[in-house]
Amino acid sequence: MTELASLRTQLEQLRNEAMDAIAGAGDLARLQQVRVAFLGRKGSLTEVLKGVGRLDPAARPLLGKDVNRLKETLNKALAEREQELRLEAERARIEAERVDVTLPGRCPARGALHPLQQGLDEITEIFLRLGFRVAEGPEIEDEFHNFDALNIPPEHPARAMHDTFFFPDGHLLRTHTSPVQIRAMRRLLADGNEPPVAIVAPGRVYRCDYDMTHSPMFHQVEVFQVGEGISMAHLKGVLKHFLTRYFGRDLPIRLRPSYFPFTEPSAEVDIGCVFCDGAGCRVCKQSGWLEVLGSGMIHPHVLRAVDIDAARYSGYAFGLGVERLVMLKHGIPDLRLFFENDVRFLRRMGS
Amino acid sequence: MKMPLSWLKKQAPFRASVEEMTDALIRLGHEVEGVERPRHAVRGVRVGRILAKRPHPNADRLSLLEIDVGAEAPLSIVCGARNMDVGDKVPVATVGTELPGGLKIKKGKIRGEASHGMCCSEAELGLAEHADGLMILPPDAPVGMEVGEWLELEEAVLELSITPNRGDCMSARGLARDLAADMDVPLAAAVAPAIAVDAQTRAPGLAVDAGADCPCYLARRIEGVRLGAAPAWMRRGLRDAGMRAVNGIVDVLNYTMLFLGQPMHAFDADKLSGALQVRYARKGERFVALDGRELTLTDEDLVIADERKVVALAGIIGSMDSAVDERTTNLVLESAYFAPARISRARRHHGLVTEASMRFERGVDPAMVEVAMAQASRTILDLFGGRASELARHGDAHAINAGRTIHCRLSAIEARLGVALDSRADAVLRRMGFHLRRDGDRLEVEVPPFRHDVALPEDMAEEYARIIGFDRVPERLPTLLPGAQAGLDDAVHAAVAQGAVQVISYAFIAPEEQRHFVRDSAGDLLLSNPISDAMRVMRRSLWPGLLRVARHNLNRQANGVHLVEQGRIYERREELSERPMLAWLMAGEAVQDQWYAKARMVDFFDIKGQVDGWLSARRLSARWQADDDSMGLQPGQAARIVLGKRCVGRAGKVAREVAQSYGLDLPVYVAELDLSALPPAKRPRFTPLPEFPAVQRDLVFLCGREVRAEELLRVVMRAGGRLLQEARVFDVYQGQGIPEGKVSIGVRILLRDAARTLTQEECDRLCDTVVAAVAEQCDGALR
Repeated sequence: MTELASLRTQLEQLRNEAMDAIAGAGDLARLQQVRVAFLGRKGSLTEVLKGVGRLDPAARPLLGKDVNRLKETLNKALAEREQELRLEAERARIEAERVDVTLPGRCPARGALHPLQQGLDEITEIFLRLGFRVAEGPEIEDEFHNFDALNIPPEHPARAMHDTFFFPDGHLLRTHTSPVQIRAMRRLLADGNEPPVAIVAPGRVYRCDYDMTHSPMFHQVEVFQVGEGISMAHLKGVLKHFLTRYFGRDLPIRLRPSYFPFTEPSAEVDIGCVFCDGAGCRVCKQSGWLEVLGSGMIHPHVLRAVDIDAARYSGYAFGLGVERLVMLKHGIPDLRLFFENDVRFLRRMGS
Repeated sequence: MKMPLSWLKKQAPFRASVEEMTDALIRLGHEVEGVERPRHAVRGVRVGRILAKRPHPNADRLSLLEIDVGAEAPLSIVCGARNMDVGDKVPVATVGTELPGGLKIKKGKIRGEASHGMCCSEAELGLAEHADGLMILPPDAPVGMEVGEWLELEEAVLELSITPNRGDCMSARGLARDLAADMDVPLAAAVAPAIAVDAQTRAPGLAVDAGADCPCYLARRIEGVRLGAAPAWMRRGLRDAGMRAVNGIVDVLNYTMLFLGQPMHAFDADKLSGALQVRYARKGERFVALDGRELTLTDEDLVIADERKVVALAGIIGSMDSAVDERTTNLVLESAYFAPARISRARRHHGLVTEASMRFERGVDPAMVEVAMAQASRTILDLFGGRASELARHGDAHAINAGRTIHCRLSAIEARLGVALDSRADAVLRRMGFHLRRDGDRLEVEVPPFRHDVALPEDMAEEYARIIGFDRVPERLPTLLPGAQAGLDDAVHAAVAQGAVQVISYAFIAPEEQRHFVRDSAGDLLLSNPISDAMRVMRRSLWPGLLRVARHNLNRQANGVHLVEQGRIYERREELSERPMLAWLMAGEAVQDQWYAKARMVDFFDIKGQVDGWLSARRLSARWQADDDSMGLQPGQAARIVLGKRCVGRAGKVAREVAQSYGLDLPVYVAELDLSALPPAKRPRFTPLPEFPAVQRDLVFLCGREVRAEELLRVVMRAGGRLLQEARVFDVYQGQGIPEGKVSIGVRILLRDAARTLTQEECDRLCDTVVAAVAEQCDGALR
């Protein structure tokens, strides 16, 4: 047997061993060991090639070709096996990382704005966008701002209807947000300005009345504008705009003549019932209308009380009951829910 | 106010339906809150005349009647009653009628005899509780007519809310006047009926000394009255109008008042001594009112008195011991005009509201003073007999409120309303009693005396508005220049964004709750007229309210609560003070059991995180100073929150006894910030992003337990100098492996130079400096 043939037999044997080892490598690390064992600098192939020196120079290229072919075969087999193992490993990883996607997610606890806060924000925002400015006033008021300046003198019957909370020194808890009219107009003049002025004044108000449909503390938003040439038509325009925006649809509105000492003319404002669309239901007592607010043209006595020239300027004013508007908008049946503060209710209504 | 429709129809012949009248009233400013129908006329019950009556062949107790009900042929009806005879008129329920009790009349046979209807008793028609036998109608009842119609059984009662400026509409006459003017229906004239005066009966003596508070007072004596109950129709009418029947005289006076708007009073003449006086009370004078209350009068009160005693608080209530009762035979009737302001003051001072005071303080129609007197006298004489005297008279009612003139500009009214006036409105106003004179743009108005509410040109604008109708006013949106208005206050929104649920609680709490968190009571503001003791004092902290809400929710199976409230607190300092506050409460579980985490109770750092997180949203950073003397909070877990040099709030664990007073046995943490004490939110300022990498090092120190994290970090920062960008505590540990009295604090620092990459050696040197500083200043050793 020639040297060449012997080497070729060795190569053949090596090839078989290597192919078996490659196929048998269970992971990438094993495969790397196989590569090193057969093709590495001290690997089996190098060992075999040490015999090339004993070969007839003419036979050397023949063997060289065989060796190259063998290397190519092994490299290809190694690459294929490597690819296979990589896929296998990836599949295993994916399987190991499989989760139950139906388990609940980690979610930071959500808070909730009180529905009255949302109502106050929505209402105020509508007027801010029209160009009104926000004003505030104290909740502990005096008789002048809460009554006298608003054309409600002490002997006035309307005064008794306000169910006022008093303090021993004669101060009181404001019964409406209308005193903000007085304060805002006085400040306007004190700052050296003149009308026009347009104010939205959200706030808490108090009446000593506590039952199913009355809360001793509730929220109002006072809206008023004073300038030259302001008329009932502006009042109606602003009311219509506000009610349409707030309820998100074009509701019919109805103004009924009424009486408030601080407006002349005065009007109660009704909207078409949001529950029955005017057909008549339990909520609107079959009338098809819901009373939502009181409004009117500011009484000249009120303007005079703040030293505004009532012959030159006129204005309108209205006061919104926030609880009522929120109840109507969201179908909340009971006023008391707002102040009970049951977290289940607040979360359901919250945003 | 309740107003039977039939009363309005007696003042003016309205033909409109109830709905049309209701709509018109609403348009005129008289809110109709509802329509009651106290009696429905039964349909199908007719006036029948008995033509023949014979005994039922098969039943002793029954009769066979032939009854003419205006139909072609008479009806045969079997009847069990005995009180009727041939020729009587009786109500006959015809076949198909449903009676008020629900009985349906059907054709039938009773013991073999056909019956085509039913003769009715008052009870069967729903007119009485009980009845013996058939209702026998008067002979003039027209055969065949609906009984309900003939008896005026049908009634609709309007439930009205009359605004306080319209005293003139608190009567059938006043309301009908407004409505008739608008609907163009003629109003019946109000004429004082003639009274046959008995020359032997002397008019009462009268002395009035009350100036403008009583410009007119009429009195009449009626002797020899045989007092009985008012007739049924009158009592029924009073009941419809929401009043109770009292006795014959009082009922007549009330009925007159409800019709004409003029309150009246009757004294028992035999309980008076001498002449009547109208005068101011003497201070301290006492009198027992009809309702049994003893009143102590002031010299501001106007009274009616005889020579010995006060017999009435003018225009409000009479005295018990001059009142008419069932034994009364001689009367003195009063009809007068009292000034509204005088009545209002006395009414408020004595806390008395009566039907009379409501009308007088809103202003009555002066013209009715005399008419009502005549009307009531006449009714009393007709019903109860007696002899009437001449009137004792003070003043002339027609002069009251007369001749008031307003000068208006039509263009100003149109400008106020935003709508053009029309001639129909003038016609309506004239029918309402206004005298109008137009001269170009000028309008001169003479106001009728009963319209106490009309005095200014703006009042005329209102009159025009309600006649023209607000629906005619166009809608116009004003143009406003947008101001430099900041957005909405977002304080509570930022807290909600961090997971809190916003609550709103009452501003008043119980005084003992106030003491949980505020030591001194000197600044408390107590209400004079609280709803209850639990709502007596204005809160000086939001915490009691939050604790109540926590209790409510934890009692309803909540495992934990995380609440925030924004609201004011109220105190008397040198002056009244109202400050806006933001307060948090966390109680129970901060984290619930989850598949990825175990439940955890809330602790101090949960509430601190809320506050610091909230502040950081405004780019503010507070210092927390331990405060063992914080009222209502547990020592060792309470802190002052300090910004700059100012204390802006406090926080901590609610003291156990306080929490337990709300029934809370869980850990409860609270915090409160004074929003008015906070500086405005800082605006962000741009700084370039770093170009070179930072080096992070962790240094773990073993320190004494008294060392505060804030202090340690300050030492670290100062030692680190310019290159130390950030230092924070990443670990705190005590326990196994740590000596007693010591604590291990891990600080992570970030080193960076803006201009280059730091070398290892530089970083090592910096760390050494930091470690040395901590060793020296905090007695802390590197672990």
